[in-house]
Amino acid sequence: MIQLRLRSECDRSLSPFVVRISNGARQCRDDATLIFEKLGVLNYRAEHTEFCIRDVAPKDIAGDVLLIDPRRQIAHRLIRARSRHNTFLITEQCDQRCLMCSQPPKEHHQDMFEHFLSAARLAPLGAQIGLSGGEPLLHKQALFNFIDAAWTTRDDLSFHILTNGQHFDEGDLPWLRSHRAQLLWGVPIYSADAAIHDEIVGKPGAFAQLSGNFSLLGLAGAALELRTVVMKQNVSGLPDLADFITRYLPFAATWAIMQMERIGYGRMNWSHCFFDSSKEFTDLGAAIDLMSARRQSVVLYNFPLCTIPPVFRNLAAQSISDWKQKYLPECESCSTRIRCAGFFEWYREEDGFMGIHPQ
Amino acid sequence: MQVWPLRFRELTDHRMIIADDSGNYFLADGNFVDRYARDELNQSDVDFLSARGHTFQEASELAHTAFLTRWAKRQYISDGSAYVILIPTLRCDLKCSYCQVSRAPVAAKGFDWDEQILDRVLAFFDNLPVNEIQIEFQGGEPFLRLDHLKAIADFARRRFQQARFVVCTNLQTLNADILEFLASEDVLISTSLDGPHQIHTQNRTRSAYLTQEFHQNLVRVLDLIGPERVSALPTIDMKHPPQPEELISAYEQFGFTSLYLRPVNYQGFARKSHPSARTSETWTSYYQEFIYSLIARNSRTGRVMEEFYLAHCLRRILAPGADSHTDLRNPNIPTGANAVIDFDGQIYSSDEARMLARIRQINLSIGSVIDGLDREKLALLAPSHINNFDPDCIHCPYQPFCGTDPIDDMSRNGRIDVPRQESWFCQRHLAVFDLAIELLYSRDPAVEFTLCSWLGLEKLPDALRPIAP
Repeated sequence: MIQLRLRSECDRSLSPFVVRISNGARQCRDDATLIFEKLGVLNYRAEHTEFCIRDVAPKDIAGDVLLIDPRRQIAHRLIRARSRHNTFLITEQCDQRCLMCSQPPKEHHQDMFEHFLSAARLAPLGAQIGLSGGEPLLHKQALFNFIDAAWTTRDDLSFHILTNGQHFDEGDLPWLRSHRAQLLWGVPIYSADAAIHDEIVGKPGAFAQLSGNFSLLGLAGAALELRTVVMKQNVSGLPDLADFITRYLPFAATWAIMQMERIGYGRMNWSHCFFDSSKEFTDLGAAIDLMSARRQSVVLYNFPLCTIPPVFRNLAAQSISDWKQKYLPECESCSTRIRCAGFFEWYREEDGFMGIHPQ
Repeated sequence: MQVWPLRFRELTDHRMIIADDSGNYFLADGNFVDRYARDELNQSDVDFLSARGHTFQEASELAHTAFLTRWAKRQYISDGSAYVILIPTLRCDLKCSYCQVSRAPVAAKGFDWDEQILDRVLAFFDNLPVNEIQIEFQGGEPFLRLDHLKAIADFARRRFQQARFVVCTNLQTLNADILEFLASEDVLISTSLDGPHQIHTQNRTRSAYLTQEFHQNLVRVLDLIGPERVSALPTIDMKHPPQPEELISAYEQFGFTSLYLRPVNYQGFARKSHPSARTSETWTSYYQEFIYSLIARNSRTGRVMEEFYLAHCLRRILAPGADSHTDLRNPNIPTGANAVIDFDGQIYSSDEARMLARIRQINLSIGSVIDGLDREKLALLAPSHINNFDPDCIHCPYQPFCGTDPIDDMSRNGRIDVPRQESWFCQRHLAVFDLAIELLYSRDPAVEFTLCSWLGLEKLPDALRPIAP
């Protein structure tokens, strides 16, 4: 597992600050350069101070953008230069209580936009940055302002925003339209049946609200990625959901059908929710067939290749973020491992997929 | 609540195929249509329609936005790529009975591009506002002017980000230079294989020896560049149509998994030697019989042959965006990016248009590489290349899946405003779409097997064949 927080040492009286670990020569005043390395401790010089980073090799963090928290003596790796999976956690607040949530919500919100803006400005050229939560749009105005501010100097960046789609209104239409080229909206929908969807997300009326907001995204020409975690609760409704998507959400760029992540509420509700698609793929297959007959894109996230019938394997994406991805011991001998999404770090074999077969 | 307007058509089994402008379709019985026409839909009718996106309450709600999107996706809009057919020569070393372009003899003079026309064609390409192109070489026999083919290919590979070349050849002659040209991955072959030896000989070569030679060349090319880069199609003479089984065997024998059954085109020489090609009844029944033979055979052998056109029409029913076939799109407005450049440098909107000019029926040229495109003529032709507002098409459930062919109307009827049902294009497509719907709703495992294979599906989803209560 790749560490996203590193032990750091610096003057405790300083306020938190963002730096980029310079990769070779210093390019701007926010770049920090390595002064010396001793006993596994890396000593860096930034514009106004010096700091240390522990437990990591210099080459592994070269180009990374760090948020140094002097009070806690921690460095947050906000952007890892060599990863495609960089996400800013906008807030931990959320108005839904999804059964399988991997990041259960918290009451308190800490506004980090200032640091995210500094970090975005130091991101590699053309980077796509994930914006996630909690529910990022609970802080919609601050979020939109952050994106506008980032683009004033870095219009090469794009953002993949994960939102429950509950918080748009008609007034957002011009903003959504003018930003559509560089924003991808990942929005969950769990069922075409409003009652089932509302039950899964733990919020009465959520489906109705979502439906109106999907319409806004459609009218805005926004790039929309629908996301559906497959669970015991919704698997039999997947063919109907596919039919609903092709008829009611024809503007969606893609539909991601996802396997569960065993952490947060997902761990708590695992036995109640986890659907073993390695044993039974009929409804998934029917949903995929319908999507492909109607020429709408579908992808499979978080499905190990061997759990998918061979004809559908080309739809599987290597979707698990590098820092929390692993393979099992039996994957050692598998010839398709290099193309496989693998498993979440917190996956357990004893209550996971029954049909794991190295290829 | 409002229901988006529905159009309906009675099928041979008296069920009705019903569809809206966005191409959402379903089957119903006559009673449903009565209730719809009298504005007496009951609750289960309404529930059925709402679940399938046929209704809305108000503008800007999801049902409304979804319909607008589905409608918009049904309209063909150029994707920034060009498809240009080139006729570097009209000369040909065969003299097929149904030749639609009235080809010229091999020794004839004045039927090839000269250097000036070649230069102008290159300049025409240079000015196209696209980055991708597919160039189809037709003729005559294009390999008679391999020098021109090479010059075009060299230029296009430099000028465009992506270029692909299809040589429509009779494959009577292969030599080292031609084989070298074919070796490039971006070169494809399209040829004619009329089926059994004797029919191919009768229609095309008039000589068993020449047919033999063609067969040998076809095998050689398939070995060299593989079946993925070679396609063949049979032209069917309705006076002597091949037995479906024989025709399919002939294709299978060469390793083809797809064929495109085409009737003799009522153009060029074909008008004199094949007057029966003007009407369609015999074609339709032959075509249906062929498709059912194909389906039975696929089921029997477990090997699947595709009939391209029916599979394509089926794909167009099921979803928007199946616009790869340039003859069936809507709208299909003629532009320079979708054109035919003849041996004399004249530009036409379609291959059929150049044939009409060739027999001097009407000159539908939209310009020439020397003088450029004739914008006035393009504007004049445009409205007839869209079916959305045709007084007959607006009542047809197949309108969103279908297209138009005013050039063919002109060729057969001398005018483009005949009632649709009297036009060959309409008759042919009504029959194809009727057949596609019949197959789609069939519960015969043999039919489902073939359809799944054509569509790349594991199992035919029931949602693709809704039936009103």
